Amino acid sequence: MTDDLELPPAQPAATPRHLAPGEVGLVAPRDFVYPRPFTFKSGQVIPGFTLRYETYGTLNATRDNAVLICHALSGDHHCAGWHSPGDRKPGWWNNLIGPGKAVDTGRFFVICANVLGGCQGSTGPSSLNPETGRPYGVHFPFVTVADMVRSQRLLCEHLGVAELHGVIGGSMGGMLALLFAIECPRFTRRVLAMATTGRESAQAIAFNEVGRQAIMQDPAWNHGDYPKDGGPRVGLAIARMMAHITYVSDASMDRKFGRRKKDTANNDAYTFEPQFEVEGYLRHQGQSFINRFDANSYLYITRAIDQFDLTDAYGSLEQAFAPVEAETLVVGFTSDWLFPPEQNRQLALALLRAGKQASYAELATDLGHDSFLLESEDLYALVRGFLERDQPYTFDYAI
Amino acid sequence: MTRLVEKRTVDMEIIGDWVEPGTRVLDLGCGAGALLDYLVQTKQVAAVGVDLDFQKIAACVRRGLAAYQGDMTDFLRAFPEKHFDRVICSHTVHELADPATVILEALRVGRALTVGFINHGFWKNRLNTLMQGRKIRNEVYTTEWFESRPANPVTIADFEDFCRTRGIRIARRAHLAGNWRTPCRARPNLFAGYALYDLAK
Repeated sequence: MTDDLELPPAQPAATPRHLAPGEVGLVAPRDFVYPRPFTFKSGQVIPGFTLRYETYGTLNATRDNAVLICHALSGDHHCAGWHSPGDRKPGWWNNLIGPGKAVDTGRFFVICANVLGGCQGSTGPSSLNPETGRPYGVHFPFVTVADMVRSQRLLCEHLGVAELHGVIGGSMGGMLALLFAIECPRFTRRVLAMATTGRESAQAIAFNEVGRQAIMQDPAWNHGDYPKDGGPRVGLAIARMMAHITYVSDASMDRKFGRRKKDTANNDAYTFEPQFEVEGYLRHQGQSFINRFDANSYLYITRAIDQFDLTDAYGSLEQAFAPVEAETLVVGFTSDWLFPPEQNRQLALALLRAGKQASYAELATDLGHDSFLLESEDLYALVRGFLERDQPYTFDYAI
Repeated sequence: MTRLVEKRTVDMEIIGDWVEPGTRVLDLGCGAGALLDYLVQTKQVAAVGVDLDFQKIAACVRRGLAAYQGDMTDFLRAFPEKHFDRVICSHTVHELADPATVILEALRVGRALTVGFINHGFWKNRLNTLMQGRKIRNEVYTTEWFESRPANPVTIADFEDFCRTRGIRIARRAHLAGNWRTPCRARPNLFAGYALYDLAK
């Protein structure tokens, strides 16, 4: 997902935004340490793992009001609120989550964890291998979406959750949400998957591979063995610049940048210094990404996304969805060319063919794949309606 | 909280009478889901709706109904034969660009098909056309020609003729008078305002 969400207008100085009503306010991450050996789908084992997570709201007495938020490739556990009053930005889905918002923290106990294999505090390739005392690097077990789901299920149980009221995710997060419904059918009451797919197209795999090659061809990658602050910074930045283009759309880039020139651009057109605003913007995207993301995690997580294939794993989409007990809602976005509406539609149709309660809604946007992060009253109303539902209508039988 | 009340209509009641309890029902052009909700509440059906409009789908989701946003022909083509016990196409068929394809596909994926439509052969429509010589505007036909969706005004005689030529069996029919409430027993093509058909193939 991109780093440049449209920010809500700053609150007047008198009310700091983190204290404003309707916001979750200041939040702090916590660590869930699973102390026992964890066997990955690949068969590889680690002696234990940590998931960094945040929660907002309160688990109710029946322990069934939890909503799990699943992040995308480059996301993390910080999906709402601020870590400190001086934070430049709130959590990545702050527009959706908070008291009275579409995912109402006054009603729901919201959980979000950094995925296994990630680099924002959860165990991943940049974690220390207890056997060697050095980072795992490429000796970290191959991670699958199923491993991410299983580890987050353990977190939910650790938090005392009896069943999930809902699982919500966009992009890779949507894959996790779907897999929760498949692998934990009795635990998962509702699944809301947005801008996602049951398996990537060749084009999406191709983009991920270019990103991986940019990293692995950077000499500083050194077969995954690099110091904490070093590594393939050039390769990772290029991977991010390219991926960023796939998260937006021709129309949204044109609206945001067009062919506008940078203020500092040299009048001389015959140089390779950034001249267009879009070039400077992408460079900024790449640079800010390398300061917060680990290159090996990028390799591992894109691999997990590429290998996610419900049809192949279960024989068919219908067979994959056969155990599902959750009510499901799939949302596609018209301008998403990475996980296009058609792939989202196919998920809902397969769920319906499997006899499940499934809905499909499509929002007309021009923001591309990242549309699921959109500030849209229509999307908010849909999410709220799915999680909360109206009271039953009564019919007036007097004709 | 205000209580949400939905008015039951006569055509809803007839459609409901033709639905077997506990069956799998598909509503093409489901709107905000009033009919499906009624069928869920009175017949405990497993309901799915299809509509083109996002707000309609959102309304269905709010009331806990499964609903799919998209083209109904594409939707039907994604299902195997006799997947649904009954398909319902109510207040929709005269707005379709290709009604024959929808009806035949609905009869393929459904064991039975309910079609409900406004009878354009109703005498007031004939008189109106004869006297005014203009597109009809009244409480049924609410739009001007330039603001309406493609409309396929269909009459009871047209529809029964279509069923005959396509080998579609009419299991039941119900004709309502111009008020869409009381039954119309004589010369329905002239005196019925609304027609309902229970079809099979």
